[in-house]
Order: sequence, then C-alpha cells, then structure tokens
Amino acid sequence: MPQVIIDGKKYQFEGQPGLLQFCLDHGIELPHFCYHPSMSIPANCRQCLVDIGAPARDRASGEIQVNEDGEPVIQYFPKLQTSCSHVIADGQVIHTARTSEKVKDAQCDTLEFLLINHPLDCPICDQAGHCPLQIQAYKYGPEGSRFEFKKVHKPKKVKLGPRVVLDAERCINCTRCVRFTDEISKSGQLTIIERGVKNYPITPPGVSFDEPYSMNVIDICPVGALTSVDFRFQARIWEMASTPSITTTNAKGSNCYLWVRDNLVLRITPRDNPDVNEFWLPDEDRLTYQRFNEDRPAGPSVDQNTEQTSWDTSFQRVVDLLGHHGQNMLFIGSAYATVEDNWMLLQLAEAVGGQVAGFIPHVDIGHGDGWLRTDDRTPNGQGCERLGIPPLDLPLWRARIESGEFDAMYVLEDDPVASGLCSLESLVDMDVILHYYNTTNQTLPATRVALPAAMVAETIGTYVNESGRAQRVVPAKVIKGTNRTLMMQMGLSRADRHGTPFDRWHNESHYINCKPSWEIIPILLEKLGVRDVPKGPRKMMNHLSEANPAFLGATYEAMGLGGVQLSSMEMEVMG
Amino acid sequence: MTKAGDWKSYQRVLLPPVKNLHHLNIYRDQGGYEALRRVLSEKSPQDVIGEMKRSGLRGRGGAGFPTGLKWSFMPPVDPDKPRYLCCNADESEPGTFKDRQLMEYNPHLLFEGILIACYAMSMRACYLYVRGEYASWITLMEQELSKAYEAKLVGENMMGTQQHMDIIIHKGAGAYICGEETSLMESLEGKRAYPRIKPPFPAQSGIWGAPTTINNVETLACAPLIMERGGGWFAGIGAEKNPGPLLYGISGHVNRPGVYEYPTGMLITDLLEIAGGMRGGKKLKALVPGGASVPVLRADMIDGVTMDIESLKESGSMLGTAGMLFLDEDTDMVAFLRRVARFYHHESCGQCTPCREGTGWMENLITRIDDGEGNLRDLDLLLDLCDQMEGRTVCALADAAAWPVRNTINRFRDDFERRCRPSSWAVNA
Repeated sequence: MPQVIIDGKKYQFEGQPGLLQFCLDHGIELPHFCYHPSMSIPANCRQCLVDIGAPARDRASGEIQVNEDGEPVIQYFPKLQTSCSHVIADGQVIHTARTSEKVKDAQCDTLEFLLINHPLDCPICDQAGHCPLQIQAYKYGPEGSRFEFKKVHKPKKVKLGPRVVLDAERCINCTRCVRFTDEISKSGQLTIIERGVKNYPITPPGVSFDEPYSMNVIDICPVGALTSVDFRFQARIWEMASTPSITTTNAKGSNCYLWVRDNLVLRITPRDNPDVNEFWLPDEDRLTYQRFNEDRPAGPSVDQNTEQTSWDTSFQRVVDLLGHHGQNMLFIGSAYATVEDNWMLLQLAEAVGGQVAGFIPHVDIGHGDGWLRTDDRTPNGQGCERLGIPPLDLPLWRARIESGEFDAMYVLEDDPVASGLCSLESLVDMDVILHYYNTTNQTLPATRVALPAAMVAETIGTYVNESGRAQRVVPAKVIKGTNRTLMMQMGLSRADRHGTPFDRWHNESHYINCKPSWEIIPILLEKLGVRDVPKGPRKMMNHLSEANPAFLGATYEAMGLGGVQLSSMEMEVMG
Repeated sequence: MTKAGDWKSYQRVLLPPVKNLHHLNIYRDQGGYEALRRVLSEKSPQDVIGEMKRSGLRGRGGAGFPTGLKWSFMPPVDPDKPRYLCCNADESEPGTFKDRQLMEYNPHLLFEGILIACYAMSMRACYLYVRGEYASWITLMEQELSKAYEAKLVGENMMGTQQHMDIIIHKGAGAYICGEETSLMESLEGKRAYPRIKPPFPAQSGIWGAPTTINNVETLACAPLIMERGGGWFAGIGAEKNPGPLLYGISGHVNRPGVYEYPTGMLITDLLEIAGGMRGGKKLKALVPGGASVPVLRADMIDGVTMDIESLKESGSMLGTAGMLFLDEDTDMVAFLRRVARFYHHESCGQCTPCREGTGWMENLITRIDDGEGNLRDLDLLLDLCDQMEGRTVCALADAAAWPVRNTINRFRDDFERRCRPSSWAVNA
C-alpha cells in the first residue's frame, strides 16, 4: 500500500486523498481557514502551508535515487505548498510546523498578515470563543503586531438579507460563504466585490440574501464577519451548553445542536451527519427554538383550571374518563411525538378496548426542495406508520367527529382544531384529553383534561425520518418534577457533559411544568391496573427493536448520535 | 562585436518602416498572409511546431518560456473537446507598452501569427484579450479583422481550404491581474479575475476547462516571420539563447522615449544611446530593465550587460517585457518605490492573504518613509515583508510586488536611510 511520511511518521493511504483532509483525519492539526471538506478548494488563505518532498528520480532511468544508507533521496518543492490543494503521492515526505521552522515561520507570517486589518474586537464579537482565527492566532500566530498604521475600514453593519448581517471589516476573504451559495445551495446570492484589501462579500445590487439556507454561512464563516440577525449579541459562546439533537421542523430529521443557557434554548446549529444533512441546516429549522421557551403551559388543567390542578388530580380525572368512555373514545396518535410516546398510546387504547385511529398529517405540498426541507412538516410520520398508526383522512374523520359519533377523544401532542381535523364547536359535547406543547394550541378551550407534554428539547425518544432513519434525542434542558431517567441523561448528554458554569440549568429557573408522554401514559396504565409496562424509553425501544420487525435493531446503543437506518417497510410486508 | 551583432544595419521585421501597414491591402502588398498560405498548404502542424522549436523563440510576455515547447504541450486532439488559443494583450505592467505598437501598426501580423498557431495546435478559435484602455486600437483591430473575414483570410473555408478558424476580440475591464494567464481566463469566462491554482496548467484545463495555450502578442507576431524565413534565420538574430527581434519600450528620463525594434542582446548602453541619451545631460542613476516588477539596476551595474535573459539574470535582474525605465541622478528612489508599491497595492486582486495584506502594508511603510516619518527599522520590516510574501501565493503578483521593494532598498539603501529617523528601538548590546 502506498505511504507518506508526515513529521517523520509513516502513514498508509488509499486512492488520492488531499493532504489537509488526510492530516485532519489522522489527528494531525493543520491551521486553515478557506478549506471546507464539501466545497471547492481555492487555496486563498495560504494558512495551511507545508513543506513537501518527493523521492528524487534519475532522469534517464526513472529509478528512485538512493543515498549511501540505501534511503531514497528526497527532493523538496522549491516553495512551500498549500496542503489543502495538494494530492498525496506515494513516498512523499511532509513537514508541518511541528518539524519545520520554515513552515512554522510561514504560518506565523500568514497569521500576522491576516490580523493586521482584522479588528481586534474579540471582547464584543459573537465568534469569540469558537473562532478559528482567534484559536489559530493564539496557537500559531505572532506574539504581537508590527503594524503601526490605520486599519482598512469597510462597511460595519450590512444587512445582507433578513437573517444574516455582515461586518465586512472582520472578513478575511476566505470566500467560504460565496462558495456555499455557488456550490452548495446554488442560489448565487453572494459575491466578492472591490479589489485587494478592500474586498468583501455582498449580494449583487437589488438582491437580498434570503435563500432558505442562508444561515449556514454564519456557521462556516471562520471569523465573526457573518452573524445571525436573530442571535447577534444574545449570548457568549461559553455561557451556553450544547446538546446534540435533531430538528423536528420536517421529516428530514436534520442533526443539530441545541444551545441552552439557564434552561432556555437560544439557538440551533447544524451537527455533521454525512448520512442525513452533512454540515447544513435550513433556516426554518433554526428559527423554531422560541417555541421551546415561550407560550409554555404552567401545568396540567382540568376543565380549564390550572391553578387548582395537580398532576395527580388530572391523572385521576383521565382514568375516570377512560373508564367511562372506554371503547367509544377516539385515540389520535402524533407525528410530532416520539416512537415511544405513540407506542404507549397504542398500549393505552388497547387497555381500554379502543383503537388508535391514526395521526393527523401535516403535509404542505410544494414546501419540500428535495434536500433538507420536506413536504411533511412533522418529524415522525414514518415512525407512526411503522407502529401501524396510519395518517388520518382529514375530510372523512372531520365528518365522523362532527356527526357526534364519538363521546370522547384522546389526542397525543397535536392540535386537532388548528390542523382542521375538527372545529372547536364540534368538541363542546365531547370529553377531550390533550397532550400539548404550547398554550397557543387552539384545541385547549375544548379540553376536559390538558396535559403539558415535554418537547424534543426536554425528552428522550426516537424519531424516524422520511427515509427510515431512526434517531434518538436526549434532553437539553430540565423540566419541573422528578424524572430520574431525564435527570441522569441530562448529566451525560451535553457536549461538555455538565454544562458551563454560566449555565444555571440545575437552578429552578425556566423549568417547564410538563412531563414526557412516555411518563404520563404508563402512570395511567398502572392506575388502570395494567401490569408489565416497560419503564422508561430505553426499555421501550429495546422491546420494540425485538418485537416489531419495523424497528429491528433500533436500540439506543445502536442509534448512538448518528442514528440507524431501518429496513424499508415494503420489504417486511413481502417477507 | 556584441551579441546583437551589427545592430546598426538591422532591418526591422516586426514593425517594418512601411506607411499604413495596418491596412489589409498594404499588408498583403508586402507579402502578408503568404506565410499562412504556405503553412496551410505545405506544412503539417508538427512541422510548424518543429520550426518554432528550431527558432529558439522564448515568450515575450515576461516569463521567457520557450514557445515551441509550450505549443508541444497540448494534449492529443479529442474531437469531442474544443481547444483554444488565447492571446494575452492585457498589457498593463508599468513601463511596458510594446504590444500596443504591434496592435496599432501591424495588427495583421498578429492575426497571421494567431492563425498559424491555431493551425499548429489544431485549434478553431482564438480569444484575443485586450486591455480595455486600448480602446482606439481595439476599434482599429476590429475593423481590420472584419476586412480579413471579408477577404476569407479567417473564418470558414479560410484561404480556400477546409480550415475554419475564428478570432474573437475581448475587451478587458482594466485590472492588472487579468494579465496573469489563469485569471485572464477566469475574466474571459465572465468570472471574478482570481488566478487559478496550478496544476492543472492551461494546456490541460484552460478556458472553460478546455486545453488552452496562451501566448503574448509579440510572441505570436514572431510566428509568421519564422514560417516565412525559417527557424534558422530567427535563431541567428541576437543573443544565442534568447534570439529574435525584440521590441524595447524605452521610457524615463531619456531624450527620445519610445518603442525600438532591435535584436535581443543589445548592450544597455547602446540602447541608451539610441534613445538619445539622458535628458538634460544628466547622469544615469538607475534602470528598471523589464517592467516595474523586475529588480532595479544601479548605474554602476549595467556596464557590459546585454538585454537578454541570461545576461540580465547574471547582473541581478530580469528581462521581463524589455520595458526599460531609465532614471536620472535627480530621481528620488523612495518616491519611485512609493509609486511602484502603490501600484501593486491598488492592483492586488485580494485572493491570497500575503499579497492582499502585504502590498498595503508595504505601501504604508514606504509612504511613511517618503513623508519623513519613517524609522530605520521600517527598512528591515519591509525586507521581512518581502520574505513573507514571496512564493507564498497562488500567482506571481506577490513576487512582482516584493522584488522591486527588496532590490530598490538593497541597492539604494543610502537613499532610504537618509530619509529615515534613527530607530526608536534600542539596539541590543
């Protein structure tokens, strides 16, 4: 197998890997700014320079020349090469800053150049703390600056579009953002204008940077030049803790991080997953974080009364209603809820002799773009169908409900009124039990018992995306009440394990009085006298992964942070 | 006897002394387009390239790469893939103005050279990328080119053969960087003129990804002469390793600045004499022999130096484009360098960090020295910056910006030190 020697150590390789990516893959850090693995290589930042040599060959015979010790004679390139644009070949010898003074000096020189016109406003910059320029300047840069002149001044606050603001002075012209709009989102809405040191990216005249993926440029910007209109100056990076999660805006299940401070979700950024969303996230997935913080319920309510209702009284009322209506109760699952929640609903319906009719589909034809946005606006439609819960035919069921066929309705984490399943008037004579997220839920005025449910940021559970990939989520913030499963997971799930000292998640600030549906329903089942209900979502999925072929192998261990691809449903029918 | 031989009896061939030679009929009266006719009917493309190699012609755009060798780098013809010739007429280096004369006074020689090159490399189209400031000569060339089309010298079934070649004149928009071959191609494709990383070289992937050869105006204009009189004749003119006629663009403090055609390998002192000597009888102080980016020579360094690649390299400079700038004894070298640095600062495209940031910093430092505010340590910093920029960018603009700074400071250090205040930093004892 061909091999290269990097800093004196031999590495084997296959194919024609780029040197920079090869080094990064093997844990050899090389400073860089413009390189991004999914975009073209302009080699314009000149930060990743390395010294490269190759075995010298005899001109006449083509044989590799060897010295007295039998070692090949290494001939070095006359100039330092950018590792991002260099393709490795057999026998090459590469020196990084660790073994070459020349490379070390060159990298230091480039950083000195980058910093001369870069404003040193790190204390007020949103990027500070996770800024590649800041980090690499400390690691590889010069001690001070020899620049004694006025820095170049450029536009300071340019609103490129509705969601992205540019500070042109901070820009180091890596062109990542321009390449993103050219090569990845293909909107072509950004370009570089001016020349030389006055360069900066901007939209062409008359164009607004409003494409549905615009906020990705904020993540790939290696400095704080591009910032989010929404998140600008809201929090310092070290005050928040990030938790790996997935977005629930659509059926793609893009992987993301939820950034939380004091139990408030402050922003959502993409998490790399080559099988789902690579490095990207649509804007609509990011801007939904407020629904985790705002309009959340104060607690359970019976007959619209929250103040004098405890969880116990509301559970008792639900059990009474279940016993009273039994078979004549309409159970409705939810494509917003996890697989575990829906499975528990199936158990509950079975326990009282009823059936889960289906889930309310939320399909917005034409919304999808074949990439990270889908027509289906729910995260778990596929999970429901795999459990045997079909999408409801809305006109048909609307007619049945309005004809007064049912005396009662049990709705899991959805809004039948707003989604058009039934009108508020038709529910007046029905006993409605509702698991809900936000107080904006339009079905609330008709509920007999309303139970606040934990949202994706607060729960543990599994979602199955449109292509049959099962992905689990972990809690990013704490809810009121004692749930040992959630509390233990909170201590483990964050990227920095226990949260930052600035994130007071263990204080009781911003606790939401809600419970995950997988906790609520087993309590009801117990009160109904059902035994052997699996306790906790992990055990539920363990059970499902063995008992239900549609979830074969989808244990929490197998899913990990990247998810697991389930076999397609058609094949199981045939098998 | 100099390398240039008996230059006093030299007969001009690139710019022959014929009135109104730019008119097609007059050019044809002088035997124009006969070389092309003979090439098309008698010679194979390999013969043409062989003749070019024999001539020893080296590119006149500044880098001096052997032209015949460059032409032979083109990959074998692939019927599914177009291939292009590109003529670089984006002449914008300060002190260089020779291509302009060819385009103004002998455009058909250029067209004929382009068509011969197209035939030699089996190309059907040539893009002639002219800097936009040459507006009146572009108009003139467009007129003459349409006459050549009417006369069936170019285009479909040209000269009664099965050949079909086109020449497309493209106007640049006035950026120095577009003279760099790969950024010229980017510009031609309608993109921002950022130089490309090499490899791949233009011969593999040039204009629109197709194999491309790019040559300077003067280089292509030599092709008809070589075809007409043979590579041996050409190789016999001027310096042995860098033969042929050469357009010397002489400017600065001389009595008769202008473009002069002489063989390569002329003594610099002879050329100064040809240009009428220094203005006002002043003494020569410095010479920039090949356009603003090449290292400047002190007056005491030019004795016996001839204008060819080897001799100038030995003397510590470069032939470049042979745009010679003579500076007299009253010249303020700091002000001179300030102007040069300002040019490169203004023209850096801003793609690569060292050039984008370094050119501006250099101008700042030199301006400060010129304004009498500089310190001695600024000179060392300037030399440091040259090291930090040179050879670390995609194209050679950073090199072109660093060379004059380094060499002007090194070769006229006294002039700079006189203008500096003593360093405010303590000298380490």
